Amino acid sequence: MLEIRDLHATVADKPILKGLNLTVNPGEVHAIMGPNGSGKSTLANVLAGRDNYAITGGEALFEGKSLAKQEPEERAQAGLFLAFQYPVEIPGVSNMEFLKAALESVRGAQGKEEWDSVTLLRQARAACKQVNLDASFLKRGVNEGFSGGEKKRNEIMQMLLMEPKLALLDETDSGLDIDALQTVAKGVNSLRSPERGIVLVTHYQRLLDYIVPDFVHVLSNGQIIKSGGKELAHELEEKGYGWLTGEEESA
Amino acid sequence: MSLSASALAQELKSQALTNANNSGSKGDALAALEAASFPERKTERWKYTSLQALADGHLNAIADGEISQPLPALSEHVVTINNGQLVSHNLPDGVSLSHDGPAINGLQTPFAFYNSAVASQPVVLTVAANTRIEQPIHVQLQSASDTPAHCSPRLVVVLNQGAEAAVIEHYHAEGQTLSNAVTALVTADNAQLTHYRLQGEQASSLHIGTLIIDQQGISKVDSYQLMTGNRLRRNDVRALVNKSGAELNMKGIFVVRDNSHVDNQLCVEHAVPNCESDQNFKGLAGESGKAVFNGRIHIHPGASGTNAELSNKNLLLNPGAEINTKPELEIYNDDVKCAHGTTVGQLDAMQQFYLQSRGIPAAEAKRMLSLGFVNELLMTLPHEKVAEWATPWLEAELAHTTPAGESAA
Repeated sequence: MLEIRDLHATVADKPILKGLNLTVNPGEVHAIMGPNGSGKSTLANVLAGRDNYAITGGEALFEGKSLAKQEPEERAQAGLFLAFQYPVEIPGVSNMEFLKAALESVRGAQGKEEWDSVTLLRQARAACKQVNLDASFLKRGVNEGFSGGEKKRNEIMQMLLMEPKLALLDETDSGLDIDALQTVAKGVNSLRSPERGIVLVTHYQRLLDYIVPDFVHVLSNGQIIKSGGKELAHELEEKGYGWLTGEEESA
Repeated sequence: MSLSASALAQELKSQALTNANNSGSKGDALAALEAASFPERKTERWKYTSLQALADGHLNAIADGEISQPLPALSEHVVTINNGQLVSHNLPDGVSLSHDGPAINGLQTPFAFYNSAVASQPVVLTVAANTRIEQPIHVQLQSASDTPAHCSPRLVVVLNQGAEAAVIEHYHAEGQTLSNAVTALVTADNAQLTHYRLQGEQASSLHIGTLIIDQQGISKVDSYQLMTGNRLRRNDVRALVNKSGAELNMKGIFVVRDNSHVDNQLCVEHAVPNCESDQNFKGLAGESGKAVFNGRIHIHPGASGTNAELSNKNLLLNPGAEINTKPELEIYNDDVKCAHGTTVGQLDAMQQFYLQSRGIPAAEAKRMLSLGFVNELLMTLPHEKVAEWATPWLEAELAHTTPAGESAA
């Protein structure tokens, strides 16, 4: 489903990814770990198509098609979803209006049945409930005045509604207390299915206690330097990243 | 016909005087027009607005076309003024209509003087003392002409002591008309007025208007001014906050697309102590649209304890669009609170990416963000009927797609 071969990418012309290889098949959950500045978030943003994040070499194929030439909305319509590390506040645009536009576009592109406003509202309320977000958040501006935890739960709520083929979660665990972390993990786990791929980008092993990955990769200096099973995450937790990168990690 | 700015200014004055003499104008109104100079290129208050469109000869003819798409009624109480002439009215008890009103204070532009000289039958709406009018009064000011022509509508709304009312001043124009309009709102003690100024005339039309808000009593005026650009739109708004304890709130939205133009010149005169005023305007400019906003707060020497605020935030949708905004504070008093801020920015790239990352196409994302920018103001409109009319109107203006070849960024 996701095929990344020798990917090189720059952020505002600075090389960050330097020959990254990764394959994600349907049904798999991958965790990408690594020290700060290793390129984890860059990978997530490059795949989603953020401005100034440019692919300069190699390729990233999603469902057999190169992502490089696709607009962010085309990637989303094809079934890619990025849960942001820092969800953006958009005052004046209500969450509900936003969801309506997003779902109309994505469901339409995927040939799924259109939801009328009653169905949409019912589905949105159910998704809110699943992540412990009060339904009143649907009427508020997108992420406007939400706490850090509410923003992250709002991301998962959107993900539940959009039913992506491939979900990229960029440091979704950062800034969450243990209750919120469990809520978010429950939401993500409910999306695990044989048709869906999930990529978790995280600095800490903590999230992986709740969302158990099939594969763990360590990213350092723009490349994956080690891959393994879930036990690799525990090893990292004990030994730190310096064990693999050969550098002292600052706390 | 193309004329130099100074030749045009003289030509306009001569056309205006001819019309005034033909309509039998005399006295102060004619004298003011005779003494006035029409704007030239160097006239400071007009430096961003060219009058070249008037070289087509709008002042040489009076608009008399049929209105093919009249405005829908936004209330049971409708006053219709077509091409400057009162056509019909349906008013509630407590509101009277006449053609004699008080002289309008504070007029300054030659166009306003011209209106005074030729508008022989102003529409004067008077709300009786201590009367509360439930439904808004919808004043429709419509005009139409296939060839360049003008009309001079003149509306005066007087709220007597303790009166409470809402008035919708709603313009509509088809073809090549110039509405040379003057409106005055006069409030006595304990009066409360909600005022809407809706200006969505066709892009081919012109509007040069003066709005005077004359708070003669301790009164509260809330004014909502929504406008789209057209070939030429110039609004001179002057508020005279003239009795201690008076409160004035003006909010507005202006949207200019394609080659359209809006020039808003606002001035709040604080002449007496302890009054409050707030101006909050938002502007959007796309394509080659051009908007001007000049917000002046003039606090006179005796006006201690004044609390005046001004905010104008703008969004540029394209590199070719232009917004000139300037706060202008003139304060002759130490004991005042005065806050102001004007900004011009672009759509936020992160917000745009966030929407697109959820599958929303770039153009739709832009439209949503533009509407979001003005939505805060739209949501404060107190009358549902007005909001129901204004929201899709502005939405349509914002839905306007960017011509091919221009960057979506």
